[in-house]
Amino acid sequence: MSTQNPAADVSPKPVAAPPSKKGGMSDLAKAEERLAYLLLLPTLVILFLIAIYPLGSVFYYSTTDRRFASSQATEFVGLDNYQQLLNMTVRELPRQLDEAGQPAVDPDTGEALYARPNEVLITDDGPRYRDVTTFNLLGKRYVLGATDRDFIDATLATIIFTVLSVVLETVLGLGVAMVVNSNFAGRGPLRVLMLLPWAIPTAVSSRMWEFMFDPTRRGFFNVVSQKLGLTDGQVSWLTERAFQLPAMIAIDVWKTTPFMALLLLAGLQLIPSDIYEAADVDGASKFRQFWQLTLPLLRPTMAVALIFRTLDAVRVFDLFQIVLAEKRYSMASFAYYELIKNQKMGYASAASVIIFLLIFIFAVVYMRALGVSDEQ
Amino acid sequence: MNNNILGKIVFYLLVVVVVIYLIFPFYWMLNTSFKSEAQLQMTPATFVPRDPGGTGAIDFTLKNYQAVFQNDTFLRGLLNSLIVAGVTTFIALVVGSFAAFALGKLRFRGKTPSLYLILAMTMFPQVAVLTGLYAVINALRIPAIPAMILSYMIFTLPFTVWVLTSFFRGLPMEIMQSAQVDGATPFQTFRMILLPLTMPALVTTGLLAFIAAWNEYLFALTFTSVEPQSRTVPVAIALFTGQVARQEPFGEIMAASVVVTIPLLILVLIFQNKIIAGLTAGAVKG
Amino acid sequence: MKRSKLAVLMSLLLMAMMILAACGGGDDTPTDGDASTGDDAAMTEDDGAMTEDDGAATEDDGAATEDDGAMSGDKQVITVASGAVGAELELAQNAAAMFEEMHPDVEIRLLDSPDLADDRLGLYLQYFETQSSEVDVYQIDTIWPGDLAEHLIDLGPALEEYGETYNISRDDFFPAMVENNTVDGALVALPWFTDAGLLYYRTDLMEKYGYDAPPATWDELTEMAQTIQDGEREEGNQDFSGYVWQGNAYEGLTCDALEWIASFGGGTIVSPEGVITINNDNAVAALETAAGWVGTISPDGVVGMAEEDARSIWQAGNAAFMRNWPYAYSLGNADDSAVAGLFDVSPLPAGPGGSPAAALGGWQLAVSKYSQNPDLASEVAVFLAGPEVQKMRAIDGSLNPTIEALYEDADVLEANPFFGSLFDVFANAVARPSTATAPNYAETSRIFFTNVHEVLTGDTDAQTAVENIELDLEDLTGFEVGQP
Repeated sequence: MSTQNPAADVSPKPVAAPPSKKGGMSDLAKAEERLAYLLLLPTLVILFLIAIYPLGSVFYYSTTDRRFASSQATEFVGLDNYQQLLNMTVRELPRQLDEAGQPAVDPDTGEALYARPNEVLITDDGPRYRDVTTFNLLGKRYVLGATDRDFIDATLATIIFTVLSVVLETVLGLGVAMVVNSNFAGRGPLRVLMLLPWAIPTAVSSRMWEFMFDPTRRGFFNVVSQKLGLTDGQVSWLTERAFQLPAMIAIDVWKTTPFMALLLLAGLQLIPSDIYEAADVDGASKFRQFWQLTLPLLRPTMAVALIFRTLDAVRVFDLFQIVLAEKRYSMASFAYYELIKNQKMGYASAASVIIFLLIFIFAVVYMRALGVSDEQ
Repeated sequence: MNNNILGKIVFYLLVVVVVIYLIFPFYWMLNTSFKSEAQLQMTPATFVPRDPGGTGAIDFTLKNYQAVFQNDTFLRGLLNSLIVAGVTTFIALVVGSFAAFALGKLRFRGKTPSLYLILAMTMFPQVAVLTGLYAVINALRIPAIPAMILSYMIFTLPFTVWVLTSFFRGLPMEIMQSAQVDGATPFQTFRMILLPLTMPALVTTGLLAFIAAWNEYLFALTFTSVEPQSRTVPVAIALFTGQVARQEPFGEIMAASVVVTIPLLILVLIFQNKIIAGLTAGAVKG
Repeated sequence: MKRSKLAVLMSLLLMAMMILAACGGGDDTPTDGDASTGDDAAMTEDDGAMTEDDGAATEDDGAATEDDGAMSGDKQVITVASGAVGAELELAQNAAAMFEEMHPDVEIRLLDSPDLADDRLGLYLQYFETQSSEVDVYQIDTIWPGDLAEHLIDLGPALEEYGETYNISRDDFFPAMVENNTVDGALVALPWFTDAGLLYYRTDLMEKYGYDAPPATWDELTEMAQTIQDGEREEGNQDFSGYVWQGNAYEGLTCDALEWIASFGGGTIVSPEGVITINNDNAVAALETAAGWVGTISPDGVVGMAEEDARSIWQAGNAAFMRNWPYAYSLGNADDSAVAGLFDVSPLPAGPGGSPAAALGGWQLAVSKYSQNPDLASEVAVFLAGPEVQKMRAIDGSLNPTIEALYEDADVLEANPFFGSLFDVFANAVARPSTATAPNYAETSRIFFTNVHEVLTGDTDAQTAVENIELDLEDLTGFEVGQP
């Protein structure tokens, strides 16, 4: 394959390079730089070749009203798509007044009654906001409105999903990696078994989980929760809003902990064991060794693992598409829905660019927080 | 001392809980794959396949597996998936390790931007890239298998580059310098010293990239749509249907996914010594 | 400082990408893959470098180009994208063989596509986006003609031209289906096989509890289901439910809820003329009735159920009534089914003052505008939709014909005795408002089922829900509001 050619090109060059050694540092540095560019070239060429047009067109279409699979003329709309997607407002909900003009309370519960969100969100002028959620702050109640309720909801869901599942995966993955890396008796089989969830295609494992959450006693969770006396065995788990995200997180953690574990295991393997020997001699406890030796040395691996897990979590698609379908979107399944079912390509592209930016922010934050971006 | 025992108990308990969490869904999949449709409809669901007649006797069916092994698309899909994921991983590892060597161990201008640029290529959701990619592939008339391999580069190559970069960077600079003193060129250092030293990292990265390519569905579905003989496993499984529309052959799907994991398990078994047999302290000191 | 550098880099990259994309796609758009087949050849040459890269794949390359073209040897190839379902695919192959026998110079290639409707729609749209000529005849869902119309040719003329040969005319089909497939006066798809909501009932339990006919109204159904459920639970079957249906928040709920509302005389959400009619008292009454079933005659979990969930309860013998599509009939009579021989089907019940309504489903045949051989492709479509093929498919595969006369055909009825009772159901089937709301049907349906689902789970009341649906649909479509 093409990749062999650059390799063939490259190796003779450095071989020829040593004679110029006497040329001093700058020559050597120049040669090194040339070699670096040469080595980078195949990667960049491949990526540019495949990705530049698709990526470029996503940016381009995000500023148009282009429809997917349609001969309808495409017009440049500037940032309208972004505005429609991101336009939000927070408004205070006034108390409902009773007949006497006093703030009303619920006669049963004694809780304060507030105006319906639509009463403050829908006005004659300005964009039409739909309520995403209401919340209390300093004794007042507010409503968060958005022009595209689904997208804002999908964004919030995706961020919560990403943060929680990545944190859990990292902790669990690190745990599994440490166990497998230790002298623990059952580590051999464990090493193989731990990869199982990652080895099953998401398209299939998601369906299996969906079946485990079946709303009848065919489903594992209904059987077990009923046996424990918690439910009547008829719970429709996946339509319960409060349960949807925890379920998604549980599935994702199950699925991708092996990824984290394997990557961190490789990181652990690269830590020379004599460092620990020295620490043992110093009498440092295992716990201190973990905090002061393992974690710092694992930081670069961790940063990369975190970046790629976060990347996948923010882009999560199969899982939401199969298990929740149109009940609740992730950002990517929202984009899919807008593209395929509504054929709003411009709009879907803008949503994708927002996903891109969100990932970019995460990546930069990790690199800075873990201090690995400043090389050498 | 007491504390130590208690700690051990807690530790093993935790291990057991995590292992159950990771393994149990797979057991459920296995359990389901041995059930007939009538057994799948039983309430409450049974933890081993039982006779639906109410006698409660254990009763396995192999029908699902027979159906899977008689499905030519699926068997062909296994082969296609092996080719696609294998070639993808090979290219991503070779090309990726070149770039990673440059990014991890050589000094040159524009290093950070290059890293971010490579990462940026993979930051879009697949759905968004799909249309443009399909247009390119369609215009260049690339057949399905190379098309999948090329498009999988979008997510495997940045991954291998980044992971390997971080591993290479972690190796002490002295290795390079001592090798250079010995008269080795940077590329020789890379091939003769760096690569062997980071074997576990290479194998791990390759394995993860392989599985990512093996599991991909959306691109594969689109690119193989007019070329059914090139379908990969996830697509073949998605095309499992019942005798009539709307019937979901759940048992067969589960059987197929059990079968799909077997080649991967073999792969892990082959490489598992490589994953773990990493560096000894001596090796690093060179 | 570093951050600003990064920002500059990113914006440069962004601009470069946009310029590239704009140049590449600007004047000529990337969508004309086909108009420029000539260019394509040039491109492949240009691309020599790439093909070389792909050393291992070049062999495949050659093979693919061979059967790529519309001609294979001297034969004209027509590609039909059909369902992947075992029996369906086999029957399509038989039909193709029949056509090839009549036209030895034609080869019909069948492409199976995923059974998941969303996946299939996505695939079709990719083809249309690139104006691909790979597929000539498409099997499309009832709700797609409106959305896809611009890529499909008017089959009206072909039906005139080949109708006589294949013994079929426009009037032979059920009128509701023809209307559903007519967009701006053009018949963009031929009904191929159909589907509609049915009421399944247990004959043994009806007898046991002293009922002699299936329920004609929803009130009767509620009463009967409650009695049977109480009785069966008393006898120890705690999993028994009176009535199961599709209450999950998805397209299936749109069908079920449309049936309730239409059978109450509450209209079809949006009328065929494009008037939003959902906000009326009958619709509210229908939704309130259905919400009353949840947790009484239907399990709480019904709000998470789709077709297969309902069927599994039913087929295990744990329900007295079920709303489902005809597919459950043959499966229910399979050897390992607990209800084999113990059930029958009837039209769904009616609401007070209304008449029974069944949501129309099923699949159509459409011919792509981008086909290199539209004339021959149309002939194939007409042939496949004709009585000969439909009859074979009805007899061998229990697929419901779209031709009225076949419901009186002795051979068909012999193979499927229950088809006789289906005629009325199909004749009175109600189409979802997909053609009237195109290209906004997907969103229309989503607004509808999301709000209905909230009524079922008790999160909102029926009156608020229909008001919300009306408001959202006004926003989305800009249609007038009216009464059904």
